[in-house]
Amino acid sequence: MKQLLTLVATLALVGTAFAAEIGKPAPDFTGTDIRGRTIKLADFKGRIVVLEASNSDCPFCANHLKTGALQELQKEFIAKGVVWLMVNSVNPRNSSHRTPEQARAEWDQKKLNATAWIDDSSGAIGKLYGLKTTPHMIVIAADGTVAYSGALDDRPAPFGDPRTARNYVREAVTQLLAGQRVLVSQTKPYGCAVHY
Amino acid sequence: MRCLLKLLAVLFLGCFTASALTAHTQAKLILSLQTARAGDSVLAGIHLQMEPAWHTYWKNSGASGIPTTLAWTLPAGIKAGPVQWPVPEKLPPDDFTTYVYQNEVVLLVPLQISPEAKAGVAGIKVHVEWLECKEACVPGSADLLASLNLGAEQAASPDAPLFAAWQKRLPESSSKLVAHAAWEKPAVGDLRPLVIEWSGAGIGEPDFYPLGSDAFEVQGETERLLSSGGLFRLRKQVKRFSGDWPAKISGLLVLKTPTGIVAYETDLSSAPLAPVANPSATPEPAVSLTQPLWKMLLYAFLGGLILNAMPCVLPVIALKILGFVREARSDPRHVRKLGWVYALGVLVSFLSLAGVVIAVQAAGHKAGWGMQFSNAQFTVGLTVLVTLVALNLFGLFEVNPGSRVLGTAGNLAAQSGLAGAFFNGVLATILATPCTAPFLGAALGFAFAQPVPIILLMFAAVAAGLAAPYVVLSWKPAWLRFLPKPGAWMEHFKIAMGFPMLATALWLLNLTTIHYGDRSWWLGIFLVMMSAAAWIWGTFVQRGSAQRGLAVVIVILFMAGGYFGILEAQLHWRSSPDSASDTRVLAHAPEGYAWSPWSPEAVAKARAEGRPVVVDFTAKWCLTCNLSVAPAFASKSVVEQLQKLNAVALVADYTLYPAQITAELARFQRSGVPLVLIYPRDSAKPPEVLPEPLPYPASYIPVLLGALERAVR
Repeated sequence: MKQLLTLVATLALVGTAFAAEIGKPAPDFTGTDIRGRTIKLADFKGRIVVLEASNSDCPFCANHLKTGALQELQKEFIAKGVVWLMVNSVNPRNSSHRTPEQARAEWDQKKLNATAWIDDSSGAIGKLYGLKTTPHMIVIAADGTVAYSGALDDRPAPFGDPRTARNYVREAVTQLLAGQRVLVSQTKPYGCAVHY
Repeated sequence: MRCLLKLLAVLFLGCFTASALTAHTQAKLILSLQTARAGDSVLAGIHLQMEPAWHTYWKNSGASGIPTTLAWTLPAGIKAGPVQWPVPEKLPPDDFTTYVYQNEVVLLVPLQISPEAKAGVAGIKVHVEWLECKEACVPGSADLLASLNLGAEQAASPDAPLFAAWQKRLPESSSKLVAHAAWEKPAVGDLRPLVIEWSGAGIGEPDFYPLGSDAFEVQGETERLLSSGGLFRLRKQVKRFSGDWPAKISGLLVLKTPTGIVAYETDLSSAPLAPVANPSATPEPAVSLTQPLWKMLLYAFLGGLILNAMPCVLPVIALKILGFVREARSDPRHVRKLGWVYALGVLVSFLSLAGVVIAVQAAGHKAGWGMQFSNAQFTVGLTVLVTLVALNLFGLFEVNPGSRVLGTAGNLAAQSGLAGAFFNGVLATILATPCTAPFLGAALGFAFAQPVPIILLMFAAVAAGLAAPYVVLSWKPAWLRFLPKPGAWMEHFKIAMGFPMLATALWLLNLTTIHYGDRSWWLGIFLVMMSAAAWIWGTFVQRGSAQRGLAVVIVILFMAGGYFGILEAQLHWRSSPDSASDTRVLAHAPEGYAWSPWSPEAVAKARAEGRPVVVDFTAKWCLTCNLSVAPAFASKSVVEQLQKLNAVALVADYTLYPAQITAELARFQRSGVPLVLIYPRDSAKPPEVLPEPLPYPASYIPVLLGALERAVR
């Protein structure tokens, strides 16, 4: 009985916290981006998709943006046909929440290069993928399975140059593009709470 | 951008000052000594003071945040050691746990001054970076400076008291305790349950604060499996990111007590139950700690069933039988309903008890069966209640059909009401608690160390056992055919049952002497006054016709006089009674042999001398202890055997529920007394836990003799 209870609790935990399980099909979602477009994951079937839990007020994200390292990575990936979806799940009551209008202004000011910035203020997509922190990164392979979940790089810091770090997302995407197995498929995400 | 400006301003202001203020955190560098000598070790402290609700992070920040970092710039001849981190706070929620410092913290760093260091003033510089968070997070940093005089004489700095205070908040070394960790079962996905267990002093809420790792994460949620008797066990889920399942997990074993927090630094080898520290201090093995739940539920049910035959419960039971006799020939559906309501009364009472147990444990205390008798007011209330029930049985007064609070006997004459049946169940439960029956001790000992749902389940099983006979009889009233037809004998039987009830009241009155000593006599006087009032009520108010008003006034005068003049003025029944003094410990020891007070040291000493040891855990309120165990120990044959074996006899008095004895009972998976342990002469062997006695004299003598024989084999 006790074992059964534990099992049920464990399964529940697995079910909620790790919906994005490595090697398993990535759950589909539909969202609206800051320009009012409908973004559906299934539409990108056959392409590598990067999900970025983003909040530019978080010092960790802010450092990646301030140094321009994140924009460079976005540009590099887009050029290779990779889809980059920023998922901003900050709830509307939080001071870090952005209205679509504010988000568009920030997009221009920070010279973002992502495919789209999804307004996920309901938290639906973030919770579906168990996004824990900003920046928590997910890489979805072209076959629609989850290939990577975790930190952007091995340098959790709000200071300094991220280019000096080992970038797990770049590694995963590069390996996928080369048709190789992703070596590091899971790391501990660092950063700020998502503010669901 | 705003943050950046702030940061720049801070860096500017902060350069080469002893303190710096960012948005929400003030940082300061302090030293334990103003003047140090060459070769000394000085403590440096980074004093971070956060605004309310802001926090900085521990060396494992948890799900978000980053640890504060220090970079030293030190003159030649001074070296900085590793940071000593005070015990952090664990910040919920469970699925996003962080380990933080709120309000303030002093991170301690030992500075070693080389013996060759020259006299003069040394500049100590440190660059501190931290992340401060409330809802949002802001990075902060500061360059801090302090000067240390190097001279011939040590001189403490004005900050020395602050160092003393924060050194107390560092985790202690785990050499003071024994800890184990073991994988409970194979992984489910990337999650695997780890059970951590340790024994140590203190009572409170155990937890484990892990150190960080890139390869795995010990998740925030803690399932507390056991927290009693100096034994703590909890389950953590470990999430693996890469590599094999870790063989070693480091962190703090934490105990949150009502007065503060104690933590021990530890490295847990996650091999199956391998001792990691100080194996010589391993306590003697207690009984097997893992029992299948179904077996324990069965024990709980059987224990509840046997409770029916215990002298504490018997009078209530007899009344219940009477009820059936009266009802057997009436509407069977009504009878069934009464049976179920009675069972419901038992169940509700047991679940309330379970609730109390859970609440007491949640408050960081230990709970035990029968612990309510260590509460003076409870005992007084119960004495009054049972006396009233006895008087009611004698027919001194009736319980108004309109308000069936004391429905036990009154309802036998009138219609057996649902409220009466319910109350019967409650009363049976209350009266059952001072008894433990065979099976019940093991079952409850198991239950008290379980998580909340299991505690509730176990108590429900005892309730089911206690109520089972009536539910069965209410379905098959025909089985009661052997009893005579209802008639005048029922009235006689009812009065006869008043006497065991009165005896119960007397026993309870005797119990109050634990708390009030000689003053308990006044409670007796009050009971007499109350009885008189009950008689006047029954005879002149309920059955009389004339002068009813006068009778009511007299009853009120009696009760008010009794309450204010005796309970308040003489008994001081509400004042917290004197606690037990150790001199009384031997008051409940069996006679005929030289018994000494129990202590772990006394056991160890006797075993070292190669003598067998007998420990009798008893309490004044424990009927089974006093009716069965003590007389058995005092019997001629057992005394002779004890003398022959030169056994050391120790008595542990649980009357007032001392924490040390609660802890020892829990070690043997018991939540109450009686418990008899016999330690064999061969000190390598574990003690034998004797089976629970029936509360009838002489039944326990052969059990004791047999166990004593085995002890010297």
